[in-house]
Amino acid sequence: MSTITGRNALVSGKTSRYEFVAGGMIAVSALLFALGVASLFEFVTLTDPIAGLPTVTVLGGLLVVIGGGVIGLGGASRLELIETTPDRSAGLVAAGVFGSLWFGIGSVVGTELLGIGGSGGLVPGLLLGGGAFAVTVLTREDISSTVPAGVLAIFAGAVFLAGVLGPGWSWSPGSFPSDNAVTFFPSVVVPGSVLLCSLLVGWASAKAYAGFGARGRHLGAHVLIYLNALAIIAVLFGLVGFVVSKGAPTAFTGFTIGLGVGPEVTALGVSFSLPVSWPFLMNGASVFVKIDGILPAVVGTVWLVIGAVLFAVPLAVGAAVFLAEYADEGRFTSVVEVATNGLWSTPSIVFGLFGASFLIPRFGGSKSLIAGMLTLGFMLLPLVLITSREAMLAVPDGYRDASAALGVSKWQTIRSVVLPAALPGIVTGVILGVGRIAGETAPILVTMAGGTLPAGSETIDVIGGFEFISTPPFVTNEALLEASSALPYQLYALITAGLGGPQFEDAPFSALDFAWANAFVLLTVVLSFYAIGIATRYYFRRKLNR
Amino acid sequence: MNLLPRRRAVHWIVLAREFFDETSVSALVTLAVGTVSLLSSLGLFLNASPLTSVPLLVFLVSITYGWIRHRELTARAVTMAMTASTILILALIVVFIFVEAWPIFDVARAEVFGISVPGLRLFTQAEWAPRSAERYSLLPLIHGTVMVTVVATLVAGPLGVASALFVSEIAPPTVREIVKPGIEILAGIPSIVYGFIGFTIISPWASEQFDLVGQGTYLFVGAVVGLMALPTVVSVAEDALNSVPESMKNGSLALGTTDWQTMTTITLPAAFSGVSAAVLLGVGRAIGETMAATVMLRNSPQLPEPLYNVFYGYDTLTSAIAAQYGEATGNQLSALFAAGVVLFITVLFLSIGSQLIERRMKRQLGGQE
Repeated sequence: MSTITGRNALVSGKTSRYEFVAGGMIAVSALLFALGVASLFEFVTLTDPIAGLPTVTVLGGLLVVIGGGVIGLGGASRLELIETTPDRSAGLVAAGVFGSLWFGIGSVVGTELLGIGGSGGLVPGLLLGGGAFAVTVLTREDISSTVPAGVLAIFAGAVFLAGVLGPGWSWSPGSFPSDNAVTFFPSVVVPGSVLLCSLLVGWASAKAYAGFGARGRHLGAHVLIYLNALAIIAVLFGLVGFVVSKGAPTAFTGFTIGLGVGPEVTALGVSFSLPVSWPFLMNGASVFVKIDGILPAVVGTVWLVIGAVLFAVPLAVGAAVFLAEYADEGRFTSVVEVATNGLWSTPSIVFGLFGASFLIPRFGGSKSLIAGMLTLGFMLLPLVLITSREAMLAVPDGYRDASAALGVSKWQTIRSVVLPAALPGIVTGVILGVGRIAGETAPILVTMAGGTLPAGSETIDVIGGFEFISTPPFVTNEALLEASSALPYQLYALITAGLGGPQFEDAPFSALDFAWANAFVLLTVVLSFYAIGIATRYYFRRKLNR
Repeated sequence: MNLLPRRRAVHWIVLAREFFDETSVSALVTLAVGTVSLLSSLGLFLNASPLTSVPLLVFLVSITYGWIRHRELTARAVTMAMTASTILILALIVVFIFVEAWPIFDVARAEVFGISVPGLRLFTQAEWAPRSAERYSLLPLIHGTVMVTVVATLVAGPLGVASALFVSEIAPPTVREIVKPGIEILAGIPSIVYGFIGFTIISPWASEQFDLVGQGTYLFVGAVVGLMALPTVVSVAEDALNSVPESMKNGSLALGTTDWQTMTTITLPAAFSGVSAAVLLGVGRAIGETMAATVMLRNSPQLPEPLYNVFYGYDTLTSAIAAQYGEATGNQLSALFAAGVVLFITVLFLSIGSQLIERRMKRQLGGQE
């Protein structure tokens, strides 16, 4: 026992130095990863020098350093200079990753650089890949998770340092025909390999930091999973921020607030001017207005959503009531469940085809607003049905029993107990569903699409369109039978019309700006539905939990 | 002959007799009038008759009367009719897209062992030439869909499962409150906006970086579609992970394992069917994704060379429908509907498959709760 205490003092000193090195390696890997992302998005140009050295040389040097470092960590653990708890092997997943990476490198080198034709070029790949796989599976974990990653980083770093990937370098696979040719340039290959190596080395160093074994795997996996979550959130914010920064300036062109600056509207026989003027949303697109806008598309989307909600929500909530309250589990309910889930996953373009073949011939024979409304209603139905049913099933049975004990009928229980309790869930489902269908393009593309750039006079007027006649079907509405535009469709129409042309001669923006502003408005509308839906759910959940 | 169906029939007759005995005559009449008028308005609508509104009006009157006099029965009958509408809609979708697709199946017959199989030629030759030769083939479209879906699954599968693990097992509560709605909002970004960004930013960038002939690659369409399928994978997989009983996880942790060991040896294996159902649903989403592919691809159905060349993207089943529907007539239109049929069947099978898997998981875990 005394020898162990004696060793422990020594080991703890070494361990802390070892941990320091491993931590440093993780930090350098993170730095390299950031550099790789920056150079992929061309924030850092590969030809510019960093601190007097060419960027590629700096990256190559860092790769060699971390590659050597991580092998050193693994070696130190293997030679038992420090106390770690490695398993017998790094496992099949790591072996598969390393094996396929080295297989790829070997095959490319074999077929392209050594010039071995046919499938013979895969021999070096198979040798290298098999070797990496065998090393990873057969050696102890501290060697098997560090050495393949470290050698890869050193290999990439050495290639960078040797200046092979200079400005004039390029490689295109010889087996691809000229009209399907692909060429790889350093501007993609360098950031790509830096990202890959830094990920692998960062993972291996994280394992080394925690001393391999169960704790090592835990830390290595957590590093990757945290990075993944961070990347997804970064992509989300990046996308939204990008669209806002590109589209908002155009969308707010000429935006003013003040008494009487807006267009004149008539409501209840009184006409007055709106206190807000927002030309992009309040104008159509024509030569008569200075700032072209997307009013017809906005109004079209509003009517689409209203129509779809009026059609689908009562149907869906009614069906959910039946499924949750009346029906016994049986063949009928399981068929309904299959049908609902089938509808949920049916592609939107198939709904469009259905609308085009089923609804259009029955509503005047041409693309129309009502065909679009009903098609989107069909899509909304399963979304609302599934969430409403879940909300009703989540209402505790005690509520129903208490109500039934008062001697009221089943429907009264549903109406005054179950529905109010399930309302937050239903409302959230409706809002999220509406958010989804408001952004759908494919179904309305084939069922109600209008012109590319409708003028303000083409704005659809549904309320004014109703007419009552004495023969069946008694009510007609010309506006519902007309084609209309909508926000997502208009964006598609702008893209297919080509974004380069000078369509707006007198407007202060180009066609491309106009399309970005359109995308911005569409994204704002859809994401507001999502934000409201998520906030509602959050609010009610907190209220319930309190 | 067979005892079981007869017994079931007797059971039904007894139930029906009870129902008739218990229900008043006026309620039965209302029910009958409502049912007949609803069915006849449906029939008239299918025949595109302007008289549709007459039985519809009768139906509305009958349920209003029923609502006042026999509320219980009416509520039950009306909600049941609403439930049946989901089955009806699915059936109508099947019938209508099949009917529209039939002409091309009839034209594109091919002989196998002397039997003429309708539609086989759509899958045996690879040329899509609507104008010059009136030749249609779904092969290039299916190839495109497979390429996009494989790339999308490689993106959405691992990243989605990792995110689901993060949200359900790893993240501290405050981080979860940010990440979870964030992933949901990612699902909300309309596909045309992804497509627009892809068309204006990613496609030109890829063409320049890889020195391609023209614009449009399966690789980047697949990556974008994978990003769009990701939220589906995350939310379904998270549900599956959450449904693993807490006692199982705690039992493992009590043995002194790390979080990660518990996840890989207990939680993931227990939730394996749910997680694979999530990935299947994500695959279904990726197959059906339309607008991003339409806008970013070249919209000229053909096979790239070599077949695994992900840097050239021509057309998928969905994008061909969206891009060509406007000007298609006759057999071309019918061929587009055939593409819709292939899509619909594939996705329906994925949906049913994932439901069966999920049901199995619920059964397995149900015994341990």
